[in-house]
Parts: sequence; structure tokens; C-alpha cells
Amino acid sequence: MTNPRRTLIGLAAVAIGVGTLLVVINGEHNIHRGAYAALALGTGWGFIGTGLYAASRRPRSNVGLLMIAVGFAGLLKALAFSNDSVIFTIGSLGELLIYALLVHLLLSFPSGRLDSRLDRVLVAIAYFNSTVVQLAAFLLNDPQQGCVQCPANPLLIDHADTAAGVLSAVQLDIAIAVLGAVVASLYRRWRDSSDSQRRSFAPVLAVGGLTFVLLMASLIVEQAGLSSGIDDGLTLALFGTLACLPFAFLTGLLRFRFSQVEAVSSLVARLGGGVGRGSLRDALAEALGDPEVELAYWVPNLDAYVDSAGRPIQLDPAPKGKIATVIEHEGRRVGAIVHDAELAEERDLVQAVGATAALTLENERLDAELRAHVDELRASRARIITAGYAERQRLERDLHDGAQQRLMALGINLRLARDLVTSDTQEAAALLDASLRELTQATRELRELARGIHPAVLTDRGLDAALNGLAGRSPVPVELVQTLDERLPSSVESAVYFVVAEALTNVARYAKAQTVRVTVVRSNGQVDVQVSDDGVGGADPAQGSGLRGLSDRVAALDGRLDLTSPDGDGTTVRASIPCG
Amino acid sequence: VLAVWIWEEPWARITAMGTTVLIVDDHPSFRASARRMLEAHGYVVVGEAADGSSAIAAVGELQPEVVLLDIRLPDLDGFRVAERLAVNGASPAIVLTSSRDRSDFGYEIDASPAHGFIPKSELSAEAITLLIR
Repeated sequence: MTNPRRTLIGLAAVAIGVGTLLVVINGEHNIHRGAYAALALGTGWGFIGTGLYAASRRPRSNVGLLMIAVGFAGLLKALAFSNDSVIFTIGSLGELLIYALLVHLLLSFPSGRLDSRLDRVLVAIAYFNSTVVQLAAFLLNDPQQGCVQCPANPLLIDHADTAAGVLSAVQLDIAIAVLGAVVASLYRRWRDSSDSQRRSFAPVLAVGGLTFVLLMASLIVEQAGLSSGIDDGLTLALFGTLACLPFAFLTGLLRFRFSQVEAVSSLVARLGGGVGRGSLRDALAEALGDPEVELAYWVPNLDAYVDSAGRPIQLDPAPKGKIATVIEHEGRRVGAIVHDAELAEERDLVQAVGATAALTLENERLDAELRAHVDELRASRARIITAGYAERQRLERDLHDGAQQRLMALGINLRLARDLVTSDTQEAAALLDASLRELTQATRELRELARGIHPAVLTDRGLDAALNGLAGRSPVPVELVQTLDERLPSSVESAVYFVVAEALTNVARYAKAQTVRVTVVRSNGQVDVQVSDDGVGGADPAQGSGLRGLSDRVAALDGRLDLTSPDGDGTTVRASIPCG
Repeated sequence: VLAVWIWEEPWARITAMGTTVLIVDDHPSFRASARRMLEAHGYVVVGEAADGSSAIAAVGELQPEVVLLDIRLPDLDGFRVAERLAVNGASPAIVLTSSRDRSDFGYEIDASPAHGFIPKSELSAEAITLLIR
């Protein structure tokens, strides 16, 4: 609510209040004029004033607005003291509205939202009973029939006594039942609150609950038709509690502010004493009054949040019913507090608590980052070892299925040729020819295999020559945009070579590309490799152990490997490897 | 030594003459060499199979007297094939072979219902003839 609006509401409250005062003082059909006037003004202005304060403190919450509405409804109710029949009827018609609004206000305090379905149903019935049913009763009956000096009811259509009697009885029964349920709901709220929540709930729940109990009692008295003395006494007591209620809300709100300050200062004290791993979360949970609070630590390298164990957490979007408040330290994001969405109203508190905890959070963040790296290292080390064994298995199989088989066949052929060399020279010559073919094949296969293990050209003549060799053997035309003439550490050279080799193999297998461009650049202490094709794209980095193995190989050198492969728009493999 | 050689060589040729063989191996170049070698020594190669299950089917169909059976096959290995053939009641003489050594297979060769094992590096028609005699 903006400032001018608040001023406007304040002015309206003063004007209507003064009018109400005049109406009540001049009301001729009333015995306790003075007391009622004071109570009506006290209640009305009290609620409006407190409501304005609440609305300014917590602009996103409905609580302030509801309190203002209750205040105006209190003033409206006092119009029933008027001598004028129209004003009197407006006041009488609206006299129950304040109770419906109070039911709404109390059930939604302090969040301003009705959380349970039961609460929403109760509020709906209360509004219905105090408006629609009230109007129906006014159409059929003059509720102030017993009041001699009361003005006439201009809404009256027809005196239907039986129907009106039934309607009033039903309205009363509904009101009593709703009030009973509301008191029970408030009790449950009290029972389920934490100690710190109770501190701010206590005044509101106590005075509000008492108000409803008194109202219920006076309705029961009215229904039972007991003496008007008891009724009057109850009504006065009810007005008294009503007048106290805004101050109960004020106390509650102040205590709430106070408990925020308290929360932050006790957090400061706890952090000052030093906290172990994980207990920062507990300290924040206590400070925020949200036992489910979670901490997320920002890891810039991974461009992601992780939990205290170093596992990645998804915060965009935040989990259902949760909000993530980002915490910064010296202008850098250090993490986020993942808290109940209800705390959205207390963003100030969360920010204050977060700022208090930022330094500790930064320390824990470094801890979590380290843990995430250690986990990743452990996993990639295991993968590298597994890949090593798999590679040896593959080599054994390739040797066995390839060159070895050919050499076996060669041996059989040669033995047979030796047997036939004198008796059937022609057949022996044919066998020797076949043997030579097998030998050529076996040699070629061994060379391929050796190059797969480690290309000799890379060791002897460096990346440029080795990449040229790769390009020459690729079935898809390769454009070597730029490579490196200089020699690099052999681990870096082989990583670059195998990134390009694997990428080219994948292009040939899957990409359906026309050309591939390969670029190798050294700058800023690192080597950047890029292999892009103009093929069909859509490659899945999770698929295929080849890329995964390469990624580990690159990560072992503190580098990183990325794959971009939009559907229908080619594939680009990029690797950056630090190189002193 | 010469006498033994003179005696043994014609004998081997005579006993091998007309003996039917099925060659089971997943490497075409090996099958081709084996076929040439066996046929040069009088065997009749009635069929070739590239894996275990087609080997079992071929034995049922062709009823060879000898099966030259590679141990490493893409589906069932040679030991399993030999067991199935023994259970099926087909009774060709089974000669296991492999590019590996006997020692690479531990006790499995002795436990197998096959007639015996010849490493590929020593494979010859004579060795087969001696084994199935």
C-alpha cells in the first residue's frame, strides 16, 4: 500500500469515526450510548490504525488490509444506533460483517493466507451467513421488532413470521457452529506452533479466542432466550475484548519484529562460537523458524549449486513450496537459503539472516566445492581405470580376432605349401600367394592397432603431422583450419590428438556431414581444440563411452570437454586443456 | 626315424581318405585355409559354420564324421557346442582348436566330451588324423 493511500484511509477513518460518534451519541434507542460510542471508536480506529501499521511493515500480506476492513466494519456496525431508518438499516444489515472479517483475519494470521481447506470453508460460510442470510432475514422480518424506538426497516417486503423465525434460528445455529469450529482451529494452531511462534501468536490467539467464545456464548443466550441482563453483560464484555483485539495484534506484530532481531542476534552469537559442518543449517533453521531449511552452495566451476555433501541441487525452479534466497558475500554469490515459501513475507529476515551467515556460508561453500571436486575426481579416476581395463580387453580381442587369426591361417598355408612344394608346385605357389595376402593384411591390422594405442607420428613429429594424418584417413573431408607446430607436453598432445580422433570417428559414423573443421589454438596458458561438422546434430553426450572417456582424460589434465549438438545444426566438440 | 615316417605318412592319407568334416570358426580366412589343408589330405569338407548354433544345426543336417571346432565363437563357445552335440546323441569326432594355448583353458579341455585339442599353430591334417584314429 502506498503512502498517499494510507493517508486517505486514515482520513476516511477519522471522518467516518466522527460521524459514527455523532450517530451513537444521538441514538435514542440505546441505553449504553457513551460506552458504545467509546468502544465503537476504540475498536474501529484501533483496527484501522494497527492495520495501516501492519500493511506498511508487511505490504505483501493481507493481514493489514483485513484489519482495516475489520475497523471499518466496526464503525459500520455502530450505525445501527442511528435514528434515521436508512442509516439504521445499513448498520443493522452490516452488523455481523465484522465477525466474518474477524474469523477471516484470525484464521489467516500471521501469514495472511488461509492454508487449510477447512479454514477456507469456515470463512466462506461466515461471509455467506453475515451477508446473504442476513439480507434474506431483513426482507422477511423486522429484526428490531422488540425495540420500541427503533426506526422502521425499509427493506421489509412482507412479514413472514414463520419463515423469518426459521431463517433466524438457522442463521444463529450456523454462526454458533462456525464459531465453535474457529475456536477449535485456533486451538490446533496454538498446539502446533513452536515456542518462538507462540510468542507472537499468544496475544492474538488469546484475545481473539476469548472474543469468539464470548460471541458464541451471547448467541447461545440469544438462542435460548435467556434474560436480557445476561445478554447485555455478555455484549459489553464482547465489545471490551473487541476493543482490545487491535492492541493484541499490535503486540503480536511488535513481538514478531522483536523476535526477528532476536533471531539475528542469537545467530550472530552462535556463529561467533564457531559452527561445525552442517550446524550452520541448524542455526539458520532456528533463526528462520523453518525446520526444513536447506543450504545450497554455489560452485562457479560447475556453474551449479551443490549441497553440503557436494551433490548437485536444482534450484531453478526451486522445489515445490520452497523459495531460494540468494546470499552474496562481498558482491559474489556464495549460496542460497532454500526455505519455506511462507517466509516470502519475511524476505527482510531471510536477507538479514543470510547476510549474517554469509561468511560462514562462504567457508562452508569452499568446503562443499572441494568435496564436489573430490567426488568428481574419485568418480573420474574409477572411470579411467575401468576404461583402461576395457581398453586392454578390446586390444586383446582385436589382436586375437585380427592379426593372430591371419597368422594362424598363414601358418597352415605355409605348412601345406611345404608339403606340396615338390609334388604340386602350382598349388604350392597359389598357397604362397594366399599367404602373402594374409601377411599384408595382418601387417596392416597390426599397424592400425598400434596407432590406436599411440600414434608414432605424434611422438616423432608432433600434433600438426599427426592431425594431418588423421585428416587424411577421415572418410569425411577435413579442413584443418589451424593446428600447432610447436611441441607440447606429451600428455596434452595425446589428449588433443585423441579428442580430434574420437570426434572424427563420430562424425564419420553418425553425423552425415559434408565437411569437418578442426581448430587447435594455444592461448592464455591453455590449448583449445574445436571440431565442428555440418551434419545432422542431435548427438547425446550421455551416450557413447568414447566421449565420456575423453572427458575424463581431459579432466585428468584439469581441462574440460563440451559437446554442442542442436538437432539439425551440426555438432561441435570443444576441449580446453591447461598448458603452462 | 625314416622308417616311421614312411610308414606313418601313407597310413594317414589312407585313413583320412573320404572322411567328412565340418569346419566351425568365425574367421573366414581361417576356414578357407583349413578347408584347403584338409582337402589336400583327402578329407571331404561337407560344410562350414561361423557360430555355435549354426554348427549344431549343420551337424544334424550333414552328419559329418569329424567336426573341427574353434573354441572362441560369437555365441556359444566350442565347449558348450561339444556338450550339446554329445547330449544330442550325434557322435562326430570333435577336434577342438584355438589360437590360444591348451594352458589358457585350464581343465576345460579335459572335461569336454571332445576327442582332443590342437592349437591352431600346430594344426595339420596329420595331427587331426592321429587324434581321431
